[in-house]
Amino acid sequence: MPGKHVAGATAEPCRRCKDNISVLVVRSEPLCHDCFARYVHTKCIKRLETFRVNFAAEDQRRRILLPLSFGVASTTLLHILDLHLKTQRSKTGRTGFVIHVISIQDPEESLPTDRLLEKTRENYPDHQYASLPLHDVFRLIPDDASLRDLVPEPTGKQNLAPGEYLAHLIDSLTSATARADVLTTLRTRLIVEHARLNGCESILWGDSTTRLAEKTLAETAKGRGFSLPWQTADGLTPFGMNFHYPLRDVLKKELVAYINMSENKLASLVHESSPGATQASMSSKNTTIDDLMKQYFESVEENFPSIVSNVVRTAGKLEIAASTTSDLHCSLCSMPVPGGRFGIHGWGGDQQDGIDVQSAEGSSRLCYGCTRSIPQASRKANGT
Amino acid sequence: MPPSPCALCKVNRALILRPKDHSKLCKTCFITVFETEIHHTIIANALFHRGEKIAIGASGGKDSTVLASVLKTLNERYDYGLDLILLSIDEGIKGYRDDSLETVKRNAEQYGMELTILGYEELYGWTMDQVVAQVGKKGNCTYCGVFRRQALDRGASRLEVKHVVTGHNADDVAETVLMNLLRGDLPRLSRTTSIITSTPSASANPSSNTNIKRSKPLKYAYEKEIVLYAHHKNLDYFSTECIYSPEAFRGSARALIKNLERVRPSAILDVVRSGEDMAKLVPGSDEGCGGVCSSSVPAAEEEEGGCGSAQGRSSGGEMASVEAQLRQNDAASEHNLETEITTAGGNGSGKQHGRHDSGAAPLSTAGKKGKKGFTPRKANKQVMGRCKKCGYLSSQDVCKACVLLEGLNKARPKNSIEVAYEVQDVSVNSIKDELKKTSIGAD
Ligand SMILES: [Zn+2]
Ligand SMILES: [Zn+2]
Ligand SMILES: [Zn+2]
Ligand SMILES: [Zn+2]
Repeated sequence: MPGKHVAGATAEPCRRCKDNISVLVVRSEPLCHDCFARYVHTKCIKRLETFRVNFAAEDQRRRILLPLSFGVASTTLLHILDLHLKTQRSKTGRTGFVIHVISIQDPEESLPTDRLLEKTRENYPDHQYASLPLHDVFRLIPDDASLRDLVPEPTGKQNLAPGEYLAHLIDSLTSATARADVLTTLRTRLIVEHARLNGCESILWGDSTTRLAEKTLAETAKGRGFSLPWQTADGLTPFGMNFHYPLRDVLKKELVAYINMSENKLASLVHESSPGATQASMSSKNTTIDDLMKQYFESVEENFPSIVSNVVRTAGKLEIAASTTSDLHCSLCSMPVPGGRFGIHGWGGDQQDGIDVQSAEGSSRLCYGCTRSIPQASRKANGT
Repeated sequence: MPPSPCALCKVNRALILRPKDHSKLCKTCFITVFETEIHHTIIANALFHRGEKIAIGASGGKDSTVLASVLKTLNERYDYGLDLILLSIDEGIKGYRDDSLETVKRNAEQYGMELTILGYEELYGWTMDQVVAQVGKKGNCTYCGVFRRQALDRGASRLEVKHVVTGHNADDVAETVLMNLLRGDLPRLSRTTSIITSTPSASANPSSNTNIKRSKPLKYAYEKEIVLYAHHKNLDYFSTECIYSPEAFRGSARALIKNLERVRPSAILDVVRSGEDMAKLVPGSDEGCGGVCSSSVPAAEEEEGGCGSAQGRSSGGEMASVEAQLRQNDAASEHNLETEITTAGGNGSGKQHGRHDSGAAPLSTAGKKGKKGFTPRKANKQVMGRCKKCGYLSSQDVCKACVLLEGLNKARPKNSIEVAYEVQDVSVNSIKDELKKTSIGAD
């Protein structure tokens, strides 16, 4: 990483190599460019010990999927993995795995996904690349009856094309929080399905420590405490797909520093709104629960990085409910619902005795959190 | 905008935008719905039984005043057959409780309930003013909080009442859930989401086996609705402004809850639901029901909201000390990791990656279930026992209150010492450190 000057540099020598002048302080340790890069790389690669070089035949090599959002984290992850595979190849002539990159076009097309993906491919040409529109989730998921039943199709219109149905679904959601929640959930479903169709055994997510902490509190706030054991853990998920978070020990601000210090080429691949933008929109009606948690943890990580990682560690200690059976899962987010307690009724905090739990359901059964996001009126109007 | 009719009776004009779900209600329907929901909570959780004597922990504040008023109403309307009394605690801070205790005295008359006021002096041998004189202004909140947690139980035990109800509302519970996630304290998260908890009698006789049951009938009631109810029923309450600041974690969690409520009104209830569900997933938790069923779980040293209703004057000092503690733990576990790998060396499991990189995080961080032995901290399942001194439920040999009293009594120039026992050579400061350690170590 040829150096760019970074604000906040100290004149102190690097605590690790003792040779170079430090350029930033990482968890109270002054580090030089090279040692900082090594610090980030090590934290990431250490998480990938299960993906060591194996000497299987070329066509049996393990495939992993890397969802690329063009943000700081997933771009950095791709960059580090690319370096890692190059190192493996130069040492052994082989690599431990093959990378498939997927990028999902959001319905608002706020990013020129295809152009960005092409640019990324030019920089890291050794991998497979694909992009899909989000509405493909309705096309690709085999059992899409329950997904298509989330909200009823508008009267007089039937068999909407996937794109039209997605637009209709988003229109019927009543808050920014619900829209963000449903879009994120559908995005995850689509990525998992794409991984499956391409024979990938694991998905490597770019989430930083900070992002995982945000997710922990955001899902708690959205009523998905029951699913926390699966929200941030490495390993097999209820999707039947392995999830890994190689950047789980790196803070968001460290990833930002990494990008800022890197060559322009890497920085030019990143398209993410600055933290300032999150702040500015905070008062508006469009604030989401995810935004709130993002803002909160980006401020906590400034002075209390260990508290941020402790939140993630704490969520990781929750155990999977013993009563969980695979058939009782949510039609939208796919998380197993212990005891089949679907919907928002029938618990201590629900005061409406009279509501028949079954009547609020179509062919899809939603967990507590998803029920909060999908408007009840339109679901009931669906007629069961 | 034309006046809209009440969503329930469809007759009266809607005057209230209900905070919980933003439905538009008239005053009468709001009051009815608020009371009916608490009745529902009481029945669904089988909180009371006929003939039971219940002490309402009364501070004169909005929560406990509304609780007393609603319980009186429901007890008559649905014939619960309860004997309701008021129990107030006087911390002994000159001037601080004067107005609120006057309020409680008026409430006792208004509701025709018997009132008992017990002071820290009687319960612990120390008023808060005396504690402050002893330890200084800084850090006395620790004492206030720890003493407060036991005071109601000790008081109830003196009155031979077996069931204390408190005014904890949905906002308090939600706040506690987030706070304990931020502090990494799952056992406490699990305990505090329960609607019913119980502690062994805090009588001086440790062999006494009578449990004091604690419950929170307002657990699902929104703070804003409690304020609205008090307002529309013209209840006589005192706005308590605590003179001490809350812990930084609580202040932080409180701010988050307020913001969440603004973004999505149901979020408070949703956090409470998440907390109940998570309680069932806490390792070693005996709480199969997550507070949903009515079986009792230990309350012990649960967080009781420090000093009441102070808003956002958090210092961040507590967060800084937790941060420092966590860093120390990380450094220690990293050290253990190094030795472990060195000793286990040669088993050929992928060591080519730079573990000599001394800044690397311990493998024990999150997610890697099944990896064991990397953390120097005790698994800390918080086995609950009894305090050897007072018999109060405690995860330590001696409960926090008794540890604090030990320090105070040691330092008090030969005055009467409440309980005679071997006194260790501990300064007040080291006791505070000790307490910090016990609360942080619970991870
Ligand atoms: Zn260096
Ligand atoms: Zn769901
Ligand atoms: Zn009405
Ligand atoms: Zn004790």
